[in-house]
Amino acid sequence: MKATWDIFCSVVDNYGDIGVTWRLARQLVAEHGLAVRLWVDDLGAFVRLCPQADAQALRQIQQGVEVCLWRADWQAVEPADVVIEAFACELPVSYIAAMVQRAQKPLWLNLEYLSAEEWVEGCHGLPSLQSNGLSKFFFFPGFTAGSGGLLRERELLQQRRAFQADSGARDEFLSSIGVTPLPGARLISLFAYENAALASWLDVLAADAQASQLLVPEGRILADLQVWLGCTAMRAGDVQQRGQLHIQVLPFIQQDQYDRLLWSCDFNAVRGEDSFVRAQWAGRPLLWHIYQQADNAHLEKLDAFLALYKEGLSVDGQRALVELWHAWNTGQSVKESWNQLLQRWPEQQAHAEQWCLQRASQADLAEALVQFYLNWL
Amino acid sequence: MKTAQEMKPNSVALIDGQPWLIQKAEFTKSGRNSAIVKMKLKNLLSGSSTETVYKADDKMEPVILDRVDVTYSYYSEPNFVFMDQEFNQYELNKDDLESVMPYIVDGMTDVCEAVFFEGKVVSVDLPTTIVRQITYTEGSARGDTSGKVMKPAKLSNGTEIKVADFCNIDDWIEIDTRTGEYKSRAKAPV
Repeated sequence: MKATWDIFCSVVDNYGDIGVTWRLARQLVAEHGLAVRLWVDDLGAFVRLCPQADAQALRQIQQGVEVCLWRADWQAVEPADVVIEAFACELPVSYIAAMVQRAQKPLWLNLEYLSAEEWVEGCHGLPSLQSNGLSKFFFFPGFTAGSGGLLRERELLQQRRAFQADSGARDEFLSSIGVTPLPGARLISLFAYENAALASWLDVLAADAQASQLLVPEGRILADLQVWLGCTAMRAGDVQQRGQLHIQVLPFIQQDQYDRLLWSCDFNAVRGEDSFVRAQWAGRPLLWHIYQQADNAHLEKLDAFLALYKEGLSVDGQRALVELWHAWNTGQSVKESWNQLLQRWPEQQAHAEQWCLQRASQADLAEALVQFYLNWL
Repeated sequence: MKTAQEMKPNSVALIDGQPWLIQKAEFTKSGRNSAIVKMKLKNLLSGSSTETVYKADDKMEPVILDRVDVTYSYYSEPNFVFMDQEFNQYELNKDDLESVMPYIVDGMTDVCEAVFFEGKVVSVDLPTTIVRQITYTEGSARGDTSGKVMKPAKLSNGTEIKVADFCNIDDWIEIDTRTGEYKSRAKAPV
């Protein structure tokens, strides 16, 4: 009999929380043969990622996952063998009571946000003893062997390599989202929060000797883009040119399409957590716009990742990378650091692929969760 | 009820009917992750220890403990012996004293508090501020007098602590035992 898993997701903002849990749920079903229920409190956000879903349905099956509306007035259900509260969301009180009553107690996991900080390894997998007799285990995704790993589907890298080796597949995909690659142009994707550094990057791209084609999926960065362009209300399909920079707005695309977009581009600017990890699997140089926190707490997290990622780069390569990422995340001009990065371009390309291969040698997050459950039994 | 963040080392929480001594508590907050407290707990009934993690705002039930003033007397392997004003002796091993071990030195005169659970001593609390002597540190590198530039120094028991750059060997310093941080230079205790 299949083990049953319940994943609870409270959509806080944007699509990061639901993006990660939806991807995890699908992988647990497809690769581990598990029966997974995904409880989501905002089906509207889910439908953006899975357009074939019904935003009104209390229960529905999508790609093998039972997707359920997590209603404020919780209706009693039998808890699963494994219960995941994603990103420290609060489970319904009566559901926890049912976990306590269950003859075979479930494995209760708190799946945390991704971080490269050193303390993560010391806390990953530790229990939190509860007053009701249950233990809740903290599970930390991460980049090192002592963490919970990263989400990565079993065939992902083979698919990516095959795609990148087939220029026809790339052209066909880009055509399907309305993009015609410009000969000789650098292809860049841009997915970011509002960012004061954007104008400086667009300035330097527009003035560059080499043309750049910037593909921008609909999102929060569009307002800054419009200000720089001096236009209003850009929408999917719109194309603008300033100097050597060609800008095209893309529609909001699904996760599988977004992977192909990342694989197609020479450079990817990404944000948050899910797109950040997917860009690493693309094996191409990247720029991360981290989710901002009060008191600049996010900058420590940024530096912890950079400390890992920059290992193996030359001194100049490290400096270019760190300065570009810092400027991008503090709203400073990226002109100098972008040009420095271009001077180290082949090195950055090789390093991105090497980093990808190193991370892929570790267990992926879904596999690590399943193994944690088997060890716990 | 207290939050996990409010529970300090050497306090006891009642969890699922079991008394757990908090031997160590480290608070961490970063990025988008929830603030957490990593704790080392010792079950006062079974004697077993475990490492745990709590969200900083998780609720915990504190146990009110009896306390008696004591001073450190001597070490008798494997126990550290403390004595109260009526010359009663209390023996604790290194594990019981985990949070205060860095500050236990021969000859210390600090008035500490022995902590009791159901009549049995389970740990010792040091005063919030203690005075210790530096036995080794490098000379001042930059001539800084502001107290903002820090450097490593060693106490007589080998504990390493960051002190102000102007501190020298044989100087006495005040240490905050809650944080383990240097506070200021001090006069030698009489």
